[in-house]
Order: sequence, then structure tokens, then C-alpha cells
Amino acid sequence: MTIKHFSIAETLVRLGIGEENMGLSNGLGWNETTGRQVSVYSPADGKLIGSLRQATAADYEHTVALANEAFKKWRMVPAPRRGEVVRQIGQALRDSKEDLGRLVSYEMGKIYQEGLGEVQEMIDIADFAVGQSRQLYGFTMHSERERHRMYEQYHPLGIVGVVTSFNFPVAVWAWNAMLALIAGDVVIWKPSSKVMISAVAVHNIIREVLVRNDVPEGVLNLVIAASSEIGDNFFSDKRIPLVSFTGSTHVGRKVSRLVGERLGRSLLELGGNNAIIVTPSANLEMAVRATVFGAAGTAGQRCTTTRRVVLHENVYDQFVDKLIGAYKQLRVGHPLDVATHIGPLISKASVSDFKFAVNKVQQEGGRILYGGDVLSGEGFESGCYVVPCIAEAQPHFSIVQEETFAPIVYLMKYSTLEEAVAIQNGVPQGLSSAIFTTNLVESEQFLSHEGSDCGIANVNIGTSGAEIGGAFGGEKDTGGGRESGSDAWKIYMRRQTNTINFSSELPLAQGIKFDV
Amino acid sequence: MSLPEINSGISIADLTEYYPESVGWLSERGIRCIRCGEPIWGTLSEAALEKGFSDNQIDALVNELKERINSST
Repeated sequence: MTIKHFSIAETLVRLGIGEENMGLSNGLGWNETTGRQVSVYSPADGKLIGSLRQATAADYEHTVALANEAFKKWRMVPAPRRGEVVRQIGQALRDSKEDLGRLVSYEMGKIYQEGLGEVQEMIDIADFAVGQSRQLYGFTMHSERERHRMYEQYHPLGIVGVVTSFNFPVAVWAWNAMLALIAGDVVIWKPSSKVMISAVAVHNIIREVLVRNDVPEGVLNLVIAASSEIGDNFFSDKRIPLVSFTGSTHVGRKVSRLVGERLGRSLLELGGNNAIIVTPSANLEMAVRATVFGAAGTAGQRCTTTRRVVLHENVYDQFVDKLIGAYKQLRVGHPLDVATHIGPLISKASVSDFKFAVNKVQQEGGRILYGGDVLSGEGFESGCYVVPCIAEAQPHFSIVQEETFAPIVYLMKYSTLEEAVAIQNGVPQGLSSAIFTTNLVESEQFLSHEGSDCGIANVNIGTSGAEIGGAFGGEKDTGGGRESGSDAWKIYMRRQTNTINFSSELPLAQGIKFDV
Repeated sequence: MSLPEINSGISIADLTEYYPESVGWLSERGIRCIRCGEPIWGTLSEAALEKGFSDNQIDALVNELKERINSST
């Protein structure tokens, strides 16, 4: 086998990434920090990408003060003008799409096409937000009192704390920040410690736009720090009216508790345990393709990754044969190699977690049908590459009930649709779900009140790969948050109901008399 | 570069970064350090307490983990 070598040295130069980088920006440039110096390595080849000086708790305090002042100015900029800044950010991202996509791919491990797709999501949400900046509508209502007018309006909220996960190093920030910006809010971004360099690159890309438009320092902030420096203090901070957190249910519970104790708002995008139901009438070719992309794409490291497939007993064997055949065609390798389908996991710790799941499902009585191995040797020196796994399992297995952030998919049989929906819903998480059927009744049952209990329910489309125009999020242990499209913008704003009396009387509501 | 010492106060982030093999071993004992691909926040002691370990059991867990790590290096 010929080993290809992939260099991103020129990409890093174009993105303004140096050997040493700062972990603190208030939008218009980089600030000196005194925190821990950390090195960032690629899971693709284990090589050093760069080093970074992390921010401290004191830097955080300074940033919040700056953001508070910036908010007072930014909220007074008309929303369509804020939208124009977002439009220019979208254009800057278009100009840097290939470079940023390549860096995301190299730092996180997703394949280059997925890296490009992630940057495209940033561009898409920027476009969406530009339009939304002219549509921050409130309702008007008819008052029960004469010569009174009632309406509601949406005001900017304040500082939005955005904590993002490693699997979407840049897009999750954009889903939040672009809407927050047009809403008149300011943002403090704490990225995952696994993908810090991509965050630095984003701030390099947007800096010129902010400077060119005289956007105040402190509107878009990046604070890269360990959770011991910026963690509980961030979530407990009453100056942060909204915290958007994307990550595990485990940490999300803590975020929810800390933000809730001070009656702040939290937008939680937590774990998923997503299932596809394949019915007897399903187009199996489509169902297999959706399962392969959903379960093995991004090496199983999407919130919406297909983790369970619930198959009707009549199509089980046929589906399994086709799925194994498709898995055998998957190429695991360097994420920047265009021939690769599956890149590495994010870390050796994730590989260890994958191995645990593979062992556990067998201990509980399941059977490995394909894959499950850790790859070694030339091209796999980082120790982060695995062969995607297909396992036969039962719905009640403890490992099936949990989300393992790796490419392992559990196959299960069902007899009736009611049983399939019960299996689909019978997990703590409630993010994404799908059914493959050509039977109208089955699809409507799946989408009805007694159907899927997830935030996302699809018909003849897999569980992953949501579009930007819909609200994204899920129920139960997934946290209940909704971000990106539809009316998700409302959480970034403060809702106010106004009543105006243009009479010379003072009638009370509900006809109450209170004469003095 | 010196590795951080394994004790009850080690952060899960450091533990999983420098001793990734500990992830599977702790998972078998009910402590899953990696969630959504990232280390859970807090220390080993906090993670164990959450799973109902007593102080004595945590001490034993740490000692056993150290022995395992030392024997594998």
C-alpha cells in the first residue's frame, strides 16, 4: 500500500494559524493570556497542529465586562444593519471555505467532504440569519378594553454563552452566533478543548469583517480555557442570560442545574440514541444507504448518528446481508484522502470507549456481525482508527440504552409497528428518528402523537444530516433545546407584551371595579 | 513532559488524555468518562462519588487503577 502524505502547512498560514496562538479574542484581535500552554494534535496522524495559550478565569471576567459594554452599543444598531454584518461574515466564510473545511477535517478527523459541508452549514445559517434580521416579528392582539392596543415585541437579550462540542468544531458556534448577532446579542464562545485551532481560525476569518464595519470590541468573543477555569463560574454567572450548550447529557445536566438555579435560560443540545425503523414495504436500497451514512459517517460521532436499526422480521436477513456488503466497501483512512469514507475517532480515549461498547454488547448476549477492531500499522499510527461495527442486540441491553460516540450500530427485530415504535422510544434520549416505508398509514402513525417522541422524525430519510431551515434539537435526555432554523431565533431575544391605552378612562382587565 | 499523577483529584480530562486505556477499565466499573466523545467534567473522585462509591472505595479504585497503568507501561 502506498501511504499518502497530507500537509496542511499552507492552509494554516492562509488561516493565520501560527506555531503559538492565543486563546482569547474580543473580536477585533488577539489578547495576551497567561493560562496553560497546550499543544493540539491531529487524530489523523498524531502530528502537532499548533500550540495555544489558554485563557484564565481573570480573562473571562475581563471579557464579560467588555461584552456588557459592547451589548449596550450593539443592541441599538438596527437589526437589518446587524444582518448586513452577518451577510459579510457569510461571504468571508465562503472565501475561506476550502481552507477552513480542510482544517476542520484535519483537527477533528471528519473527512474533507464533511469538513466542507460543515463550513457550508455556517454559510447557510448566515444566509438564514440575514433574512431573519428583517423578520423579528411579534404578534398584535385585540384588547378586551376599548381604545387599547396590545402587541408584543422582541428585544435583544444580552450576552449569550456558547459552549460547543468537538464533533462540529465551527458550525455549532455559527448556528448560535449568527442568530444571536441579528438579535442584537453579544457572544462569548468556549469551544471544545479538542478542536481549539479551528475556533482560532474562525475568529481570524471574521475579524476583518468586524473591523471594517466598526463593530464594537466585545460583540464576538472567544475564550478558550479548561473547564476548571471557565466552567461552573460561566454557567452560574447572572450576567449571562442565555447559555447554549452542546455536548453530553452528563455535563448538560450540570449546566441545566447551574443556569436554572439562577433562573437563566439554557439551550441544551445533548446526546442522541437515534433509530431507523425499516418496515416490510421499505425500499431496502435506500434504507441501507441511509444506515451506512447515518451510522458510519463522521465515524459515528454525530449527535444524530444512527445508533439503532429496528428491522421487521421479514426483511431482517436481507437487510443485514446488504448492510454488511456495504460496510465492506467502506474505506477507513486519512480524512484528507478523497478516497476515504471514515476518518479517525477524536482520541485514543474514544477508541477505548468504542472497545468497551464492542465488548459490552457481547457480554450482554449480543453478537458482532461485522467490524469492531482497532486498526494499527502504516497510516494508522495515531491509534484513533477503528473498523465500523455492526452488532445484533436486544433493546433492553444497557449498552444499547446508552450513547457510545463511535461507529457501532445495533440491529434489532420487531413484529408489529407498535412494537417498533416502543423500541424506538424506549431509550432515555429523544433527538432524531426515521422510518423507511412506502405505506402511508405506517408513516402517518410514526409521525402521529403516538409515534416517535423525538425532536426530529423523518420518513424515508435517515437520522443524520438536518437542514438549516428547520429547528434542530430533541426531547428527554437530549435537553429540549431548539436551534438554527424555524423560530429558534426567539430564544435569543427578550419577549415583551405591551398595552397602550389611548382613551381617557382606566378600565381594568376582566371587568374588575376598583374605585377610589 | 511529565505525566500527571493519578490520584482521586486528577481531572477526567487529564486522565483520558494521558491514560486513555483507563477509559475502558473505569467503564467496566460503572464510570464512563467519555460522553459524546469528550471527557466528562470534574475529577475522578467526583465521577466515582456520582456513581455511589464511598471514600474507601474511591481510594481502592485509584490504587487499582495506578497498578494497572504501571503494569501496562
